[in-house]
Amino acid sequence: MATSRALSRLALRRAAAPTSVFTRTFATVSPSRPVVPESQTSTAKEPSPEKDARIKTFHIYRWNPDEPTSKPKMQSYTLDLNKTGPMMLDALIRIKNELDPTLTFRRSCREGICGSCAMNIDGVNTLACLCRIPTETTQESRVYPLPHMYVVKDLVPDLTNFYKQYRSIKPYLQRDTPPPDGRENRQSKAERRKLDGLYECILCACCSTSCPSYWWNQEEYLGPAVLLQSYRWIADSRDEKTQERQDALNNSMSLYRCHTILNCSRVCPKGLNPGLAIAEIKKSMAFT
Amino acid sequence: MATLARPMALRQALRALPKPSHVAFRPCSTLIQRPLQQHFVKQALQNTTKAVGFHATIQRSILPPEPQTVLGTVNDPAPVPTPSPTHGNYHWSFERLISAGLIPLTIAPFVGGSLNPTLDAVFCATMLVHSHIGFQAILIDYIPIKRMPGVRKFFMWLLNAATVVVGIGLYEFETNDVGVTEAIKKLWHA
Amino acid sequence: MTAPRALQLGLRRTGLGVKSTFNGFKSRIAQRRVASTQTTSESAAADNILVKQRLARPVSPHLGIYQANIAMYGSAFNRITGSILSGAFYIFGFAYLAAPTIGWHIETPSMVAAVGSWPIWAKIATKFSVAFPFLFHSLNGVRHLVWDTGRGFATKTTARSGWVVVAASVVGSAILTSV
Repeated sequence: MATSRALSRLALRRAAAPTSVFTRTFATVSPSRPVVPESQTSTAKEPSPEKDARIKTFHIYRWNPDEPTSKPKMQSYTLDLNKTGPMMLDALIRIKNELDPTLTFRRSCREGICGSCAMNIDGVNTLACLCRIPTETTQESRVYPLPHMYVVKDLVPDLTNFYKQYRSIKPYLQRDTPPPDGRENRQSKAERRKLDGLYECILCACCSTSCPSYWWNQEEYLGPAVLLQSYRWIADSRDEKTQERQDALNNSMSLYRCHTILNCSRVCPKGLNPGLAIAEIKKSMAFT
Repeated sequence: MATLARPMALRQALRALPKPSHVAFRPCSTLIQRPLQQHFVKQALQNTTKAVGFHATIQRSILPPEPQTVLGTVNDPAPVPTPSPTHGNYHWSFERLISAGLIPLTIAPFVGGSLNPTLDAVFCATMLVHSHIGFQAILIDYIPIKRMPGVRKFFMWLLNAATVVVGIGLYEFETNDVGVTEAIKKLWHA
Repeated sequence: MTAPRALQLGLRRTGLGVKSTFNGFKSRIAQRRVASTQTTSESAAADNILVKQRLARPVSPHLGIYQANIAMYGSAFNRITGSILSGAFYIFGFAYLAAPTIGWHIETPSMVAAVGSWPIWAKIATKFSVAFPFLFHSLNGVRHLVWDTGRGFATKTTARSGWVVVAASVVGSAILTSV
């Protein structure tokens, strides 16, 4: 279904712009390629294979739920980087469109704001849409789903537990007293500044699934992403349930399985620092 | 299989295309069908994919992950444990105080040669508590209580017993011998 | 986008829609969508399929494929060195208590005499293999305590402090071994 949609879009694009059948608008296209004049577009042919083709191999984790007894395997695909967009997501979409429509992955916004395409690329969790393809063609790329998660299919992990944990921290403003002016809950600039570096989190789960503590104790430890979200509400001056929020974390598992390994802060594709947020929670709870 | 499926998908896609409003574009979309089809078939044959078995994981044969089960519906929040400061923030603060206290106790013998008996005993006791907390953290991390409550309980009690026994042993050492820092110093220069 | 549309629909349903030309234009665009909603608990059959599928799901690879980095391996090494030191500490405590009954002599003078008779390479090796875990764990412990105050969390800083700890413990244990 998705394939036909993508293909129809491709076909539409070609139909709409007949002059540019052979020129792709991707960033890595070599500028030397001649533009085919409009009169020749009726005999559309695949351009002869590039002499300076940059062939790169991608090894991608595959597992099909329709064959539940089979083991996960790595499948290899080769792409010419000259015909592929600059990002890992472009490569994946191109593989799905042109080589293997059964390849499954999540993607939506292609600009790092939805967090759908979080996966492990070359050993690091990141968003495929924000990850440039390393241009050394001798180096082969490896793509896995987010580590230590149950795999729904291929690169799609099951995030049910992650979302359930997010829900458990009550990620919304909790207030009993109405605002003094009866209109809105005001905040000073300094109070608002405390939320910078917290509110930007898109819940892509890159950080949580990079955390060894979360790997081993996923059920009980909340993980960096959810704890950062929790701190976002603890630090919010308008929220009145700070004590309750802290109490909910005050046990040996939920918060204190964090051993400051700091894989989380290294991987965050939005440049946030979940490790610091967790340290701030611990600090705020230290002597209360 | 994929090579077979793709031209069909393409044909469907082209059929599903909305009728273009500009007549001038219509011939183009029909013209494009065949070359595109050929293009994809050729591409797929060129880029023969190979699949290899998955070897890159270290098999955790000691404690392989359990099959996935979800408690309640997907819309229920994960259960929130009852607050227990003795395992939570008090424990954490205590742990930090012990660790921070070890810094001067560790530096002192390097500066002053060795510790006096009282400070040596304090150092020894602090080290014992620090070790105990460290071992506890290891047990909590690697023995999931929900999955193997008996094993966890057993190891926790084993650790408690070990700490008590070692504590008695160190008391003996502190009272009958020269003290830990002095002993290490002597052994180091032996 | 959706909020005005919902308002529009609401107004139309209650018959309060204002008939201006602007509104008329809008209501032509607005479509009524009758969404068929179905809770997951209702469809028990579908739920069963999902539950069965979940049981077959593999767990994605983790430690084996994750890129080696100073943050993760520094932390793991901190735990390993701590376990070595504390393990030795515990074993010594046990041994000292058990020594009289077993007949070992691990009081300081006899141990010093025993170590004194070792060849020089054994002394150096033992000293280094005690000094390195000790220094690494101590220095990394200080690093952790600094983190606990909420400082030094920038990714570059953490990587640098990690390597500083490694370098300092190698150099320091070499010095300690030589004295």
